[in-house]
Amino acid sequence: MGDSLANISLPVQGMTCTSCVSHVEGALRELAGVSDVVVNLSTNKASLTYDPALVKVTDLQRAVEGVGYSVPPAEVTLDVQGMTCASCVAHVEGALNELDGVGEVSVNLGLGTARLKYIPGAVTIGAMKRAVQNVGYTASERRAGADAMDRERQAREEEIKRQGRNLLIAGSIGMIVMIGTFYDMLGPFRAIVPPFLSFKWVIGLLTTPIVFGPGRQFFTNSWRGLKHGVTDMNLLYATGIGAAYGIALINTLFPDAGFGGEGATFFESAALLTAFIILGRWLEALTRGRTSEAIRKLMKLQPKIARVIRNGNEEEISAEEVEIDDLVLVRPGESIPVDGVILEGYSAVDESMLTGESLPVEKKAQDQVIGGTINKTGAFKFKATRVGKDTALAQIIKLVEDAQASKAPIQKLADWVAGHFILGVHLLAMLVFVFWFFFGFQQFFDPDSSFILSPYKLGEIGVFGFSLLLSVTVLVISCPCAVGLATPSAMMAGTGKAAELGVLFKGAEAIENTSKIRTIIFDKTGTLTKGEPSVTDTIALSGSELEVLRLAAIAEKNSEHPLGEAIVRAAASQGLQLEDAASFDSIPGHGVEAIYAGREILLGNRKLMRERQVDFKPFLHQAERLEADGKTVMFISLDGQPAGLVAVADTLKEHSIEAVKRLHRLGLEVAMITGDNRRTAEAIARMVGIDRVLAEVLPQDKAEEVIKLQAQGKKVAMVGDGVNDAPALAQADVGMAIGSGTDVAKETGDIILIKDDIRDVVVALEVARATMRKVRQNLFWAFVYNTLGIPLGAGLFYPFISLIISPELAGLMMAFSSVSVTLNTLLLKRFKPGRLEASIASSAQKRKFVPAPAGD
Amino acid sequence: MEHEDVEKAIASKSARIYLPISLGAALLFFLASSLVGEFPPVARFGGSAWVALLTLIISMPVVTSRLKKGMREKA
Repeated sequence: MGDSLANISLPVQGMTCTSCVSHVEGALRELAGVSDVVVNLSTNKASLTYDPALVKVTDLQRAVEGVGYSVPPAEVTLDVQGMTCASCVAHVEGALNELDGVGEVSVNLGLGTARLKYIPGAVTIGAMKRAVQNVGYTASERRAGADAMDRERQAREEEIKRQGRNLLIAGSIGMIVMIGTFYDMLGPFRAIVPPFLSFKWVIGLLTTPIVFGPGRQFFTNSWRGLKHGVTDMNLLYATGIGAAYGIALINTLFPDAGFGGEGATFFESAALLTAFIILGRWLEALTRGRTSEAIRKLMKLQPKIARVIRNGNEEEISAEEVEIDDLVLVRPGESIPVDGVILEGYSAVDESMLTGESLPVEKKAQDQVIGGTINKTGAFKFKATRVGKDTALAQIIKLVEDAQASKAPIQKLADWVAGHFILGVHLLAMLVFVFWFFFGFQQFFDPDSSFILSPYKLGEIGVFGFSLLLSVTVLVISCPCAVGLATPSAMMAGTGKAAELGVLFKGAEAIENTSKIRTIIFDKTGTLTKGEPSVTDTIALSGSELEVLRLAAIAEKNSEHPLGEAIVRAAASQGLQLEDAASFDSIPGHGVEAIYAGREILLGNRKLMRERQVDFKPFLHQAERLEADGKTVMFISLDGQPAGLVAVADTLKEHSIEAVKRLHRLGLEVAMITGDNRRTAEAIARMVGIDRVLAEVLPQDKAEEVIKLQAQGKKVAMVGDGVNDAPALAQADVGMAIGSGTDVAKETGDIILIKDDIRDVVVALEVARATMRKVRQNLFWAFVYNTLGIPLGAGLFYPFISLIISPELAGLMMAFSSVSVTLNTLLLKRFKPGRLEASIASSAQKRKFVPAPAGD
Repeated sequence: MEHEDVEKAIASKSARIYLPISLGAALLFFLASSLVGEFPPVARFGGSAWVALLTLIISMPVVTSRLKKGMREKA
């Protein structure tokens, strides 16, 4: 064993008895380098000593898992300050991944967070913070909710203030440096500028505090990173500023040294380069926070105060202190502090901030209220049902935060490019230097040439000065920031915008997949239709219609199927007495069978009658006529003989037709899946405008139908309720759970539509497409900028135009390319879903009867 | 503490690799600039220094992270 042993107390889950203890102890003892293993059943912990040189915490974890138990990981989110580009993300991820005991690590540049899973006892949060600090950033543990928001805002404001102060110093002194440098060209303005400002050593003296004051951050940060084997944007800046300043200093102090003499003292390059880079940092700090504005808005909704009635007294307490079953009082204009159910009172509540629903929702006793929404008119009392992290608002915030912290597949390429960019650019800078030194200068240098947008001639510059200038410009002009920011900033803005509209994406991958969807399948019942069927026709083949309805209702009395409930409701409304059946059996996807008064009642679809060999052939034309009207027909037999038909119909949701029309306009194929027979299903499909009908599909076979479409190479989205359609939602490329209300954490699916408005399916697609369009635009411009900028900086066009880019102009271009990505992303804030005017067709159709569900 | 010791060991070991690489590149540049063309001494020295700096910047993170990775794999 090595000299340094470590102790660890490992959490172990799944142990129930002492034999479990001996299994775990045995598994751990078998590992080389492990000793003093003690497993405690009551605390569910395994304490041991181990040699880190011989065994890792992951080995311990594997050993425990190998004998059937688990080591539950804990999760922590760190706020990381100082990250500016995608290479910073790679550094922080790398540093955290190196820690023994740390599992998954996901760093988000836009949010400035690192979310990680770790084994408690194996690694401390302090060690994580130190690891982040070692690679040049600062980290602190993220607090929940409003605290986190305050802290994040505070950190951002501090960064804005710090860079603003730096910009003020670098910008104001830089202006003086520039005036001094171009003194000879000031013309009549020379009269107001003291001549001493044009002295090289004065310009040098003015530049020094810029480089070592505001510019110091780049040198210290890059050195800290280099020591740990990481490079970032700071290094590009430090090399650029350092080289420009160093050469200018040498040429001022030793004009005959051969570096170009006084004609090549580019102090203004060093000064303005620093100022422009800091300008970029400042603008970035200003704008980047705005891409995550949506989550801040949500966090701001969290009410601070609640008025509860305890022991008959009204008390004002912190909203965090409200407990389940507390009686809460809300007055007009106040925020509702937690989720609950109204006990008394009546009001209208503005839920737009959570559901996107623009009109206030009327609330009365027994209605649910959501914490964070605003009570508009009346006062009411409600019982708290969900508090703290279980409230709808807290769940939505968590979901949006998780989505924003996740990475889209498209980001992998950008991350790879940005991660290797800095080294690549330094390598290129060296090649550029060697080329111009040995070959380019002799071949192409023109003493009359100058910088772009500058009258400054390069005349006296020597081979070294010229080559160095171009090499430095390559370093400064390149901008991996733009590449790295392109995807996460757009994802953040997109998920935030969607959340504002009541559409919750569960991750960046969901956005990317949604944008690629070409076929969308709607579950019929409860999605396209209201799922509230009613009996429209009863046909007696023997006996009276009322008797047929009564028998059907007796058979369905214990059924929970919507169709059965419709029949029971219809019988009750006729005042029929419904006795209990002696036995009842549900036949999923087919119908029911029951024994009543010694007779066998069979109620179900055609398939059931065929299987039970009940001959309905003479009556099929009546059934077909009903089905052609879009009604669902149920067949009823008594002791194996046809007894009657019961037709049931559901109503279309009011926006189904409009939503399908808009999906067509987006170029999507729209399909409908249902357990109804084909004729009925096609009738409703015609009404809504569905392209493809998947009829007579049993609930358990819906996922199979999705697979079939995927096998045809289609990217498929499935829209349904998150409970019954869970397997199909999971199978689809994108699963959308609609009308889930606010219990979002329990939902299956990649997208959760809070409102029961089918048009939100279109909103989800539009937001996803707009977001991915933004990602592509950002990546395109970032790559185009670098592809054009770097050759320009390297002097590729110099032989033809005798112009080169000055380092300070390169710095300005770099700063604006990075900021432009964020600004372009911010345009997403203006996104508005293209809702159609309430169409005449929709309002005309919305009262039409459509078939009721048959097994879906 | 233990982690810091490992970091120090890696830092010194990697320095023993990237410093010779950087100096080697600088020397190569100096020799090339002395043999090819007639460059002033300052340009040759300055150029060598710039090449050394850039090589250092390129090799330092590469060598350090490789060593770290190697050490992890060995462990």
